[in-house]
Amino acid sequence: MASRPKLSGIQKQVLALYRGFLRTARLKAPEERRRIESVVSAEFHENARSVDRRNFVHIEYLLRRGKKQLEQLKNPDITGLATLEVKK
Amino acid sequence: MAAAALRPAILRRIRLSPTPSLALAAAGAGASSHPHALARWLARPMSSHDAHLTREEVVDRVLDVLKSHPKVDPSKVTPEAHFEKDLGLDSLDTVEVVMAIEEEFKLEIPDMEADKIDSLPLAIEYVANHPMAG
Repeated sequence: MASRPKLSGIQKQVLALYRGFLRTARLKAPEERRRIESVVSAEFHENARSVDRRNFVHIEYLLRRGKKQLEQLKNPDITGLATLEVKK
Repeated sequence: MAAAALRPAILRRIRLSPTPSLALAAAGAGASSHPHALARWLARPMSSHDAHLTREEVVDRVLDVLKSHPKVDPSKVTPEAHFEKDLGLDSLDTVEVVMAIEEEFKLEIPDMEADKIDSLPLAIEYVANHPMAG
């Protein structure tokens, strides 16, 4: 246990946001859920790969954007994730 | 935060002291309005809350969850494996795995606890000590 690197505060926020998306996806219809999961997973993994981990300003921005998108997704009328498309 | 820290201890305590008398009393109270309620309650299939999961079953099912993750090489999954060091998962994959374990055992693991689970031994320990795991 002592060897385990502790997660930083900002890392925990990102993981909590990811968890929030996955939890919200569970509430949608199965097909929608799969689609949301694959889009969200791709977006998080892509950003984890491409964003410099010390670029806090950008990570904070992505966190804020993600939180807003999550709030929208929590609306039961929202089934799609058009605003979350991964742009490369 | 202190409450979250106490949670595992409380959960263990609850598990060690099952309260069949309370459940019986509740069923008994219901019986006054529905005469067959108590009989039904007594005849119900044993739920996981009463017949707690065996450790063996927890281990098997946690291993299965890990093996079915797309990024995991099933041959590397052992009850001692570390998500990152042995299975090559990153922190995002770990979130997926821990949430899949939640779903498998019908639990909701709070973020504070979930962030600490980074290996199979810790995942197995958490589920085995959880009174609501089903």
